[in-house]
Amino acid sequence: MTAQMMRLEVRDELLAIRREPATLFFSVLMPVLFFAMFIGLFGPEDGADAGIIASYGTFAVLAVVMLSPGIGLADARDRGWLRVKRVSGTPLWMTLLAKVIAAIPYALAVLLALTVVAVLVGSMAVNVGVLLRVFVVLVLGAMPFALFSLAVGARAGTTAAAAILNAILMPMVIVSGLWFPHDIMPDWVVSIGQFMPTYHLAQLAQAQVDGGPWLGHLAVLGLTTVVGAIVAALAYRSARP
Amino acid sequence: MSAILEVTNLHHRYGDVQALAGVSLSVGEGEFVALLGPNGAGKTTLVRSIVGLIKPTSGSVSVAGGDPARASVRQRLGVVQQDVGFPRTLTVAEVVEGAAARAGGDPGAAPRALDEMGLSDVRRRRASNLSGGQQQRLQLAMGLVADPVLLVLDEPTVGLDVSARRAFWATLAERRRRGTGILLTTHVVEEAAAVADRVVVMDGGRVVAEGTPDELRRFLPGRRISARTTLPVEAIRAVDEVVSATAANDKVVITALRAEPVVRVLLQLDNNLNDLEIAAPSLDEVLADLTSHRKKVAA
Ligand SMILES: Nc1ncnc2c1ncn2[C@@H]1O[C@H](COP(=O)(O)OP(=O)(O)OP(=O)(O)O)[C@@H](O)[C@H]1O
Ligand SMILES: [Mg+2]
Repeated sequence: MTAQMMRLEVRDELLAIRREPATLFFSVLMPVLFFAMFIGLFGPEDGADAGIIASYGTFAVLAVVMLSPGIGLADARDRGWLRVKRVSGTPLWMTLLAKVIAAIPYALAVLLALTVVAVLVGSMAVNVGVLLRVFVVLVLGAMPFALFSLAVGARAGTTAAAAILNAILMPMVIVSGLWFPHDIMPDWVVSIGQFMPTYHLAQLAQAQVDGGPWLGHLAVLGLTTVVGAIVAALAYRSARP
Repeated sequence: MSAILEVTNLHHRYGDVQALAGVSLSVGEGEFVALLGPNGAGKTTLVRSIVGLIKPTSGSVSVAGGDPARASVRQRLGVVQQDVGFPRTLTVAEVVEGAAARAGGDPGAAPRALDEMGLSDVRRRRASNLSGGQQQRLQLAMGLVADPVLLVLDEPTVGLDVSARRAFWATLAERRRRGTGILLTTHVVEEAAAVADRVVVMDGGRVVAEGTPDELRRFLPGRRISARTTLPVEAIRAVDEVVSATAANDKVVITALRAEPVVRVLLQLDNNLNDLEIAAPSLDEVLADLTSHRKKVAA
């Protein structure tokens, strides 16, 4: 019963992303196009390594996992559809979880597309084991960000949710050096960037490529999860149905 | 007749608005109760408490013996809510199949429910693209698809055309025969009274009257008389037992305590009086009278 309901929720959410051209364009296609440009401008001449997926992939995964659940939730509530679901006996946690789960295949699809672009445009050498570890780290590591997304979606209207989430994501992504490498940025930006959870997610993914230290980054993401859970819980306490 | 819905002394406040001030109500198996009352009476608030969307300040609601705050109890309800919209990304058929599955029913029942509500032709369209009346029918199809024990319908006839309304009343009558309890709010008073077993009238967050449609009609004694006459309205108002008289086009409409003595006097005063009609007050008039604030202050 519960499993059937969950399957249905996830199916609806997968369709919601696939059948909404704006979501597909902004969270899937655009990051891939940007990446093609980015790798042409900043990619090393002697062939890129998977580090380029670790950094840019962090942005691309967050563009799916951080935007779509919150915006989708706000939209469902604005329409009154969330009330229909609540009355139908679907527990709220299921509705929320389904939105996050449905974002995962799209996040993986973007990562795959980035990999193809990196190989074709940036002549990246493929190491399947490393790439898989990077993918797993990025998708799992994006989950705490989904909590913030749902928190915003619980309170804001659809348009506001999209604006707020972009306003949180974009600056974090830039100061964390995920679009333009930190070497070309002023020191003060770099030092702010090191406080961003996005930076630590990218570093944790990078550690899968170069075997660097990872425990500190994991700890920051753990802390982010705790804060995200508290913020989401508070947002729900006072959310209107 | 065992009660499927039992509402006991329900209170609800929104900030400083007392939306429900002690409502008690029950609906039995196979019973059809129409909930009437003016805008702002508290009907939607009552419905939202019954379907578990809001937690009442005090009092209790029990649906088939359970608390609607529990998801498993809500699954047994068929609900039409006011102000609901559908996602842009699901088709009509997907929405109804989903409703069946969420209620623990068989998604294979969806085609029949769609057919019952006249939506088979639009089943592949996106739900949000339906017209207002079609969306209302879609909510009904969702509510009916899983054979609920209780239907809770908040203004389900809004936006329905004449033939859709007729089909809708027939569907409800059929469900009632199968033992489904029905609680329905509406402003289409006469249509609801024609099919309801019992009418509950709310005003200002309270139940102000309750009974069969015929019992309620007796709340407003007297008769409505209309006729074509040359008599001035003032002269008619002066006649014994006339409560009120108004001129409309070339006719007068008179409310009187009793019809016969008034008509006798009118015929004496105007022997050209014609087009005479005498009727019992409509339920609309009963309702207006029951819920007028003048009346409440007096009571
Ligand atoms: N969310 C809310 N916040 C504050 N006040 C509310 C809210 N919802 C309803 N009210 C108030 O509660 C009272 C009852 O409203 P309700 O919607 O239950 O009336 P109703 O009988 O359904 O009216 P209608 O016939 O217009 O649908 C009204 O005074 C309304 O303004
Ligand atoms: Mg209402």
